[in-house]
Amino acid sequence: MADVGRHPNIELLTLSEVKEVSGHVGNFRVKVKRHARYVDEKECTACGDCVEVCPQVGPDEFNFGLVHRHAIYQPFPQAIPAAFVLDMETCLGNNPRACGKCAEACEKHCINLDAVDSDVEFTVGTIVIATGMEPFDPLGMTEYGYGRMKNVITAMEFERLASSGGPTGGDIRRFSDGKTPKSIAFIQCVGSRCEGPGNSYCGNICCMNTIKDTLLLKDHWPEIDVTVYYIDLRAFGKGFEEMLKRSRQLGVRYIRGIPGEVEENEDQSLTLHVENTETGLVEQHQADMVVLATGVQPRAEAHDLNKLLSLQLHPEGFLLEAHPKLQPVDSPVRGIFYAGCAEGPKDIKETVTQASAAAGRAVRLMSQGEIAADPYTVEVNEDKCKACGLCLKVCPYGAFEWEKGAKAEPIEALCAGCGTCAAECRFEAITPHQFSDAQIVAQVEASLSQDPEQKAVVFACNWCSYAAADTAGVSRFQYPANQVLIRTMCSGRVDEKFILRAFELGAPIVLVSGCHFVDCHYIDANRQTVRRVEKLWDKLESWGIRPARLQLEWISSAQGQRFQKTMEELERLRREVTPREIAHTRRILKQKLHPPKPKKQARRKGVAAHA
Amino acid sequence: MPEDKAHFKCLRCEAEFELPYTPGKLEERECPKCESNSVRRLKTPPTGQED
Repeated sequence: MADVGRHPNIELLTLSEVKEVSGHVGNFRVKVKRHARYVDEKECTACGDCVEVCPQVGPDEFNFGLVHRHAIYQPFPQAIPAAFVLDMETCLGNNPRACGKCAEACEKHCINLDAVDSDVEFTVGTIVIATGMEPFDPLGMTEYGYGRMKNVITAMEFERLASSGGPTGGDIRRFSDGKTPKSIAFIQCVGSRCEGPGNSYCGNICCMNTIKDTLLLKDHWPEIDVTVYYIDLRAFGKGFEEMLKRSRQLGVRYIRGIPGEVEENEDQSLTLHVENTETGLVEQHQADMVVLATGVQPRAEAHDLNKLLSLQLHPEGFLLEAHPKLQPVDSPVRGIFYAGCAEGPKDIKETVTQASAAAGRAVRLMSQGEIAADPYTVEVNEDKCKACGLCLKVCPYGAFEWEKGAKAEPIEALCAGCGTCAAECRFEAITPHQFSDAQIVAQVEASLSQDPEQKAVVFACNWCSYAAADTAGVSRFQYPANQVLIRTMCSGRVDEKFILRAFELGAPIVLVSGCHFVDCHYIDANRQTVRRVEKLWDKLESWGIRPARLQLEWISSAQGQRFQKTMEELERLRREVTPREIAHTRRILKQKLHPPKPKKQARRKGVAAHA
Repeated sequence: MPEDKAHFKCLRCEAEFELPYTPGKLEERECPKCESNSVRRLKTPPTGQED
């Protein structure tokens, strides 16, 4: 951190909030709000004179509120920049004016109580998101008594107690009486891997953190009896299993079973009720202190960030990567990368690895000086564009420049080529450079030129459904051969007119298939698919065409069997469509899509002559 | 936005069922019977039931 603070090429903006990001890779324009620090960070030497006279105190966030700090403070001893900050909320309390004692005490006159927030704006080539995570708050898990029982603490609070820079100077003491506990129980998976209050996923770091804590305890206080309650221990990684073995060898008891309840005794020691799943017995164990190994969860700010940068969130709330295996560092937006727990729970080693990779990816991109735009972009026909702005509204990347009343202009550097805009444009003003309307319609027409009633038309997205067909093929999953597979980059590219054209040509069944919602390669373009298909179901029904003839499926690239099953089901549905129904559909669509031109010309002339 | 329940029909197996529904929110839905995603919201609930 000190290196970062000193580096001539790194500008560190603390107490700052990103308010707006626009532009694209190579030219991101970022607006940042810098909150007032009230202390000149360049002049302040962190001498501490101001703290000595400050009369106001508030909870110390770094120590999880275990102790208090003054209104003017340094967040933690190694904080960068090494300068104090004034928390004006704590400083003022209910008073209308600050007392000003800190400013009087500061010999270097670094403190300005009239400082105000400021906005800064700059351009950057790439962005790395490293917003971290926050620990799970176990207050909602009432069975453990956290918040009610003084000697039930979280793993993070234990970490502060065990730290030599912590509130007790590294002494492990009970909050109830200040005595060193004779027995400590660690409960694993608090707020992780659970269906009730908490998160369904594994916190990743808790097992190894607990094992590390048990080693620390046995090193410094070998007389303390330590017990760990767990579901299963996830000690994977280099040297981790050895740490677990050493912990067992030092006398730490590991009991497979999570306590269902923690009760407080009269002397404020604790009774744990647990089913030991190795013996099958329900047991009661005593402990002087209970440490809850709480999991991690995404920061609340991740939700705002995802909107700000047109990113997507995983259902668990972490930011979604461009590809979980092949691009784990990249966001779906070119030029934006992830480092650390913003993308998912990670330990220090994984975080450092990902941060290094993110830095490498960013440097590689910027050192080129220029980048090659993807060929799958679009162009707008200005004559046809009616300046409605719908293209910008549906584009997952915001890859259009558009203002009310102005024609839309695509931003090629931002466009990823899903083609949703082209499918959505009512005026046919947008033409993708690949997968154009004409190309796709030609495929539909060619595939249905013979025996259309024997075929089912399948629109498959490039990344998932089409790949699932490949998986089915290489896995030798057999399915009916009369399906016509038409590839699009995204299911969002499937225009209503492609589907109607297929029905018009006699297709009994049409399937639109794409990625599952969390897998969408174009952030959330497949939501537009759902919206469009739902609208088309209504339209077909109002025209007297069975909506069931238009099917919708999400099939991931690994789901070869699901693809096979879908194709078999499609064939079953196809057989239910009679030649009469097909003929009826064709008649209706002919009327609806190609209505006869009214013969009003002669009449008008007659009327004019008469007049 | 309030989350409610709505009636849906599977366009593959024709099963009718209830699922959580938030107006305006696009979600990935699956038929509990055949796992198809061709799930359509019924604007008028089945006879004898109210939305």
